[in-house]
Amino acid sequence: MKIKYLLPILASTGFIFATYTVISGSQPMPVAAAVVEPASAPFKAFIAGSGIIEAQSQNITVGTPLSGIASSVTVKVGDKVKAGQPLFYLDDREAKSAMAVKRADLAKAQAEVNVALANVNESQALSRLAEAVSDKRAISAEELLKRRNTVLVTKAQLDSAKAAVRQAEAGIADIQTTLDRMVVRAPVDGEVLQVNLRPGEFAQAGGLGTDLLILGNLEQLHIRVDIDENDAWRFDKNTKAVAYLRGNRDFKFDLQIAYVEPFVVPKKSLTGDSTERVDTRVLQALYRFDRKQSSVYVGQQMDVFIEAPEFATAHRAGNLTHTGG
Amino acid sequence: MNAKPPAIRCQNLVKIYEAGGQQVTALNGVDLDIAMGELMMLVGPSGCGKTTLISIIAGILDQTSGGCELFGENLLALRNKDKLLFRAENIGFVFQAYNLLPTLNAAENVSVPLIINGVKRAEAERRAKQILDKVGLGARTKALPAELSGGQQQRVAIARALIHDPRLIVCDEPTSALDHESGQKVMDILKAVALDHQRVLVIVTHDARIFNFADRIAEMDDGHILKVVNSAAKLK
Amino acid sequence: MNHIALKMLMGDKGKYLGIVMGLTFASLIMTQQPAIFVGLMARSYSFISDVGLPDIWVMDPKVQFIDDIKPMQDTELYRVRGISGVEWAMPLYKGMLKARLTDGTFQTCNVIGLDDTTLIGGPAVMLEGKLSDLRRSDGVIVDIDGAKDKLGKAAASPDGKNTPLKIGDSLELNDRRAIIVGIAKVTRTFQSQPVIYTTYSRAKAYAPRERRLLSFVVVKAKPGQNLDELTRRITATTGLAAYTQDGFKQLTYNYFLKNTGIPINFGITIALGFIVGTAIAGQTFYNFTLENLRQFGVLKAMGASNGTLLRMILLQAVLVGSIGYGMGVGIAALFGFLMRHTILAFKMPWQLLLFSGAGISLICIMAALISIMKVIRLEPAIVFKS
Repeated sequence: MKIKYLLPILASTGFIFATYTVISGSQPMPVAAAVVEPASAPFKAFIAGSGIIEAQSQNITVGTPLSGIASSVTVKVGDKVKAGQPLFYLDDREAKSAMAVKRADLAKAQAEVNVALANVNESQALSRLAEAVSDKRAISAEELLKRRNTVLVTKAQLDSAKAAVRQAEAGIADIQTTLDRMVVRAPVDGEVLQVNLRPGEFAQAGGLGTDLLILGNLEQLHIRVDIDENDAWRFDKNTKAVAYLRGNRDFKFDLQIAYVEPFVVPKKSLTGDSTERVDTRVLQALYRFDRKQSSVYVGQQMDVFIEAPEFATAHRAGNLTHTGG
Repeated sequence: MNAKPPAIRCQNLVKIYEAGGQQVTALNGVDLDIAMGELMMLVGPSGCGKTTLISIIAGILDQTSGGCELFGENLLALRNKDKLLFRAENIGFVFQAYNLLPTLNAAENVSVPLIINGVKRAEAERRAKQILDKVGLGARTKALPAELSGGQQQRVAIARALIHDPRLIVCDEPTSALDHESGQKVMDILKAVALDHQRVLVIVTHDARIFNFADRIAEMDDGHILKVVNSAAKLK
Repeated sequence: MNHIALKMLMGDKGKYLGIVMGLTFASLIMTQQPAIFVGLMARSYSFISDVGLPDIWVMDPKVQFIDDIKPMQDTELYRVRGISGVEWAMPLYKGMLKARLTDGTFQTCNVIGLDDTTLIGGPAVMLEGKLSDLRRSDGVIVDIDGAKDKLGKAAASPDGKNTPLKIGDSLELNDRRAIIVGIAKVTRTFQSQPVIYTTYSRAKAYAPRERRLLSFVVVKAKPGQNLDELTRRITATTGLAAYTQDGFKQLTYNYFLKNTGIPINFGITIALGFIVGTAIAGQTFYNFTLENLRQFGVLKAMGASNGTLLRMILLQAVLVGSIGYGMGVGIAALFGFLMRHTILAFKMPWQLLLFSGAGISLICIMAALISIMKVIRLEPAIVFKS
């Protein structure tokens, strides 16, 4: 009669094991948590976009007005510069030697003015003598006329000599300007972001493949947000916007609108990949934010959320304005 | 013979079987009275209607016509449920092939009628052991039918037929499958233990060796009772 | 009468075992085959379960199932992000790329590109390395099955085992170098291709040049959001298809159901199991009743009612049914347990226990019904026929 107990025991064991299999099998695979918590919008309805940080002034690529060999670079990356502060010097030996010539020219012209002045004085003295003779027979009319003319001629020669001085002075000023242009100065207050020029390198005037020196104002940073053209109609620059630093959503920045680029441009890569394909156009809005809150870097990406009307309500509003228009 | 009304009264019993459109008359007007405390034997050749007659008397077969009263009850008139109840309380069966449940031991087999009557199992088996004692099998209560001899099995069957104290015991060829000695012993027990003045025994048999146990013998043939005699000697 | 019924049943060990074995067999087939079927079908969407974290998947409206990639424009990500009720939305690249192994052979791999910052959708079980190691340059994570087998270094002898990839090994994906920085355990997918995880931008670099590369946008809803409503809103706003996680699973599942022969094949096996089980168990049980018919007749003659006999037969049927059922599902579960480290797909949801239970009940009820009919029609007078 063992079978009387054996089978039910086997059956119950089997059933319990099957139940166990069911329970253990229905446990879902564990799910990997996000490595960092993704940012989420603090608004009920919003437009999301990715933004890239840039300096308020935008980034100024400093160029040189004259081509030449750089003789010295007086700033390095990260230097804060004031407007007008020299950034780098070009080789100015040629201009300086030209300057010496011009200065010699000036000295010569000035000497010639003195000569001319002496001639004027002499001719005036002779003329006065002749004028002072009251007896017309003592001096011929011809002589008198001649002396008067000599005065006029020497005066003209003096004017000419003075003009030559001014010319020489202008020449010096010209060279001085050239010399000044060979010192490239900061156009605005800002920070040196990039230096691609070293002494001895040739700085080419005009558009270049590489930027000699990039300057920006980092006191106030801007964030350039790409808004998909499909969402652009919902965008309102007066609504609130926030940005989160990628990688840590605790870094949150309140944004104030700076301006909106009026021209919708093809979306440029913001993911940093050079093979990014342009597949849509985006409206770019620029926002201000205070960088003092924490350390952020120009060129960094952020997740941006801009408060926007609910899709449905916005849709209706859009219709209304259409009919109104 | 007592003046009391008979325990079993059959009057003009007719049973016709219908098989495949053919009518077979098994009983053709049987009249038989059996008194309380009597051991009645039904004898006759095969097919004479003995089995049909005890089936009707035992209430497991309905007659085609005629009357059959069992202890004053007309079974035909009873509802199915009451008939079952009547059978469960009043009738014990002993069969030629014993018909014990092969997977139950002797005591359990004996207790079945009590359980059908709603007695609790423990009580039923306790009483089964007592009865088995009476039929001389007190030592074999745990034995399965297959472990018992034919005579012992038939004694278990008798115990089963007796246990609920029925008023009628019907036996179908109780000794045919047994040797002479076992048959005698079974009949001894039947007569000694089963029969008292409160009970009727009806035994169908053609085993001439046991005729002398009968109070009366009814000889049947062709659905009739030829004669009823009170001793085996008068049959010839 | 119950103990009598049980004794009648169990007394004959041979027949008892026969009935129970028949039912066990039927129950086994009706549990194990559907379990393989369910396991196989579950693999079709195992990737969706593995990603797990997002509530909603956004994709091109024409996508039919998980491996049917129809890429979108990258800006769709920001449009989805801009929908109210969206907690976050992340890009996910999924594509088949050819990896060139160190021995020069090519292997098609399932490349998954995760959002660069959050790495959402990454594998949950990292066997070696960390998920954040993906930030290292050229870093990729491969799944253990792929690392061991298809991506492994070829063995010296043709029948030797491949040397598994380990951290620091390199692959070439589309002529670009990829360094293994981690080994992960992932649920097997239907095609069982090796899985390579990397960041989204790196995946784009690996992928062949196409204008659109964004396979999916995975979305997490804000707490308390009604997901169905949000999916509708996403679809209405962007014109893209959005499915809840379950919805996407269902989509994938239905695609496989409709477009592969798997359901028919398994359906036939299950039906055969049912028929064979019914035949064996039902037949044995009916035979058992037939052989005990005389006993039932005796009981009937002794005054047992039809109701009593019916209860006895039902009890017997329930007993053999539950024993056969329990042993069957137990053996099926054991089978699954023993096969857990092999390629075999095996999954037993609770519905499956109900299904085989219902099947076994049906078999038992059918067998018991025939037996009961026989017993009820039984004339007790047969007891006198020898």
